[in-house]
Amino acid sequence: MNKFEELNLYEILGIPLNASYFEIRQAYKEELSIYDEDSVISYSFFSDDERAEILKKIEEAFLTLMDEIKRGEYDRALVDAGIADVSILSKKGQKKPIPLFQMGRPAEYNALVKRVKKRVEEKDVTAISTEILSKEVISGNDLKRLRESIGITLEEVFEVARIRKSFLKAIEEDQFEELPPMVYLKSFLKSYAELLQVDVQKIVEGYIKNVPIDQEFGR
Amino acid sequence: MSRIYPIGGGKGGTGKTVIAANLGALIAKQGKSVVLVDLDLGGSNLHTCLGMRNPRIGLNEFLNKTCKKLDQTVVSTAISNLFLVSSVNCSLEVANLFFAQKQKIIRAIQRLPYDYIFLDLAAGTNFNTIDFFLASNEGLFVFTPEPTSIENAARFIRTVYLRKVKQVLKQRAFLEIVREIIANMKDRNANVKSSDIIEALTEKDPAKGKLLLERLSAFRFKLILNQFEKKIDENLGEKIEKVCNRHFHSDFQFLGKVSYDEKVHDSVLSSRTYVTKYPYTVTALNLQNIVDKLIGKDQPVSDRYQRYHE
Ligand SMILES: Nc1ncnc2c1ncn2[C@@H]1O[C@H](COP(=O)(O)OP(=O)(O)OP(=O)(O)O)[C@@H](O)[C@H]1O
Ligand SMILES: [Mg+2]
Repeated sequence: MNKFEELNLYEILGIPLNASYFEIRQAYKEELSIYDEDSVISYSFFSDDERAEILKKIEEAFLTLMDEIKRGEYDRALVDAGIADVSILSKKGQKKPIPLFQMGRPAEYNALVKRVKKRVEEKDVTAISTEILSKEVISGNDLKRLRESIGITLEEVFEVARIRKSFLKAIEEDQFEELPPMVYLKSFLKSYAELLQVDVQKIVEGYIKNVPIDQEFGR
Repeated sequence: MSRIYPIGGGKGGTGKTVIAANLGALIAKQGKSVVLVDLDLGGSNLHTCLGMRNPRIGLNEFLNKTCKKLDQTVVSTAISNLFLVSSVNCSLEVANLFFAQKQKIIRAIQRLPYDYIFLDLAAGTNFNTIDFFLASNEGLFVFTPEPTSIENAARFIRTVYLRKVKQVLKQRAFLEIVREIIANMKDRNANVKSSDIIEALTEKDPAKGKLLLERLSAFRFKLILNQFEKKIDENLGEKIEKVCNRHFHSDFQFLGKVSYDEKVHDSVLSSRTYVTKYPYTVTALNLQNIVDKLIGKDQPVSDRYQRYHE
C-alpha cells in the first residue's frame, strides 16, 4: 500500500476540484520541480523506477485535467464514486481551457508566449519546413532541425507547451524507449507542432511512423 | 509529562548540537525547564556549545553506577532553567552500547522531570542513533541544503521508518514477513522496503496492518533546514515535507529554515550560546520561529520578550 497511489488526480497535483487551468499548469510545474529527473529531492527519496512511476502519474493527472472532455469524464467518475459533490460538474463548465496563445495570463508568461510566437512568425523557414513535411517519415532530428532553424530553445518549448524536457529530448533524439505512452506522445507532438506553427497532422503521423512498431505496440 | 525531542541528522556537521543548545536556550528563557542530553557518545561537544569546558558529572556516572538515577547527573548551565546531561567523560567503548544499556538510558530519560528534553545524537544511521531517535514519538531532524545532506536525510528517514515498522511488529513477526516477501520477489537482490512490508502485512492480516499504520501515523518527524542561504530554493523544506507526507504514513512537519550565519561559529567558542549573544539576527529569529511552532505560543507575551530585557 503506497500512499501516493491512493491519491486522485487532483490530489496528485495538490489542487482543489475547481482549479482553473492556470492553477493546473502552475501545480504541474511545481510537481516537476519536486519529482523531475534533475531534482535532488526525487533523486534522494526514490529509485529511478519509482520516480518514473510517479512522473507517469503526474503526467496523467496533468493531461487529463487539462483536457476539458477528459476532465469532465473524470469529474463525473469522482461524483459517481461519492468522492466529489455534484456541484463541481456544473461550476467547471464555465471555465474553458486557456488556449496556448491567449491573454489573461500572468504578464511574464504572456510575454514569453508572445516572444516565441513573434519569432516563429517572422522567421521564414519555408524551405526547411516544406522539405520536412513532404517526408513520409519524420524523425526526431527533423523536428530538432526545424526548431533550431526557427531559433527556439528546448527550454522555451518546455515553458510554453509544458512538455517535460526529458520527453522533448527523447522525441528529438529518437530515444524510443524513453518516450511517453502513445496517447501522451501524440498530445506532445501536437503541442510541439502548434508551437512551431506547422501542419499538426503531418507531424504527428510522420513522427509516429518513425517509431518502431514494437515500441509503438508496447505502449 | 515531558516532551522528548531526539535530534538526528543524516550527515555530520549539519548543526544538530548548535540547534539543540539554541532551541534549549530559547525555551528555557520562556520559563520552561529544559534538559539537553548529549547522546553523541564518543563525539560529545554539547557542553562546549553551552560554554562549559568540563562538566563534573554526566552520563558516565550513570552508566558506571556512581549515580543511581540519571537525574543526579544533571548539571545546570549559565542559562537558568537550562540543564545538561553531558557525556564528555564516557569512554569510547560506550559508543557501542549494548541493547540493554540503551534501553536503560532510554527509560531513565523518559523519567527525567523536565518540561522539555532534547537528545543530541551522533550523525548517521547506526543502531544507537536510530534507537535513541525512536525513544520518543516525535523527533527533530536537522539537514542542510547540500545534495548530499538531502540524500542522507532521505536515508535517515527511510531507516527510522523501517526500524519503527520493526519495533511495532517485534523482531519475529518482522523477520517472518520479510522472509515471505523475499521468497516472492522476482529480483532476489532488491531491497525490501517498508511499503512492501505494510502491503504484505495488510494482505495477510488486515487487523495487524491497520495497527501498524496507526502506530506509524502517530510518529511525528519535525524537519529543520539549517545553514540556509539565499541562493537556495526557498521552498525546499516545504517540498520535502510534502514528499514525505505523501509517501510515508508518519507525520512530517517542516519547522522552518535557519539561515547561515558565520557568527554561529564564533559563539560556539565563546562562553555564550548564539541566541543569547546575538538575539536580533535573522538566524536567531529563525530559531525563535521554530520554537513557536514547536511548543506553541501559549505563554504570555511578557515572558516571550523577557529575553530582550536581560
Ligand atoms: N546556522 C548556522 N550558520 C553557520 N554555521 C553553522 C550553523 N549551524 C551550525 N553551524 C556550524 O556548523 C558546524 C557544525 O555544527 P554542529 O556541531 O552543531 O553540527 P552537528 O550536526 O552536531 O555535528 P556532528 O555530526 O559532528 O555532531 C559548527 O562549526 C557550527 O558552528
Ligand atoms: Mg553534534
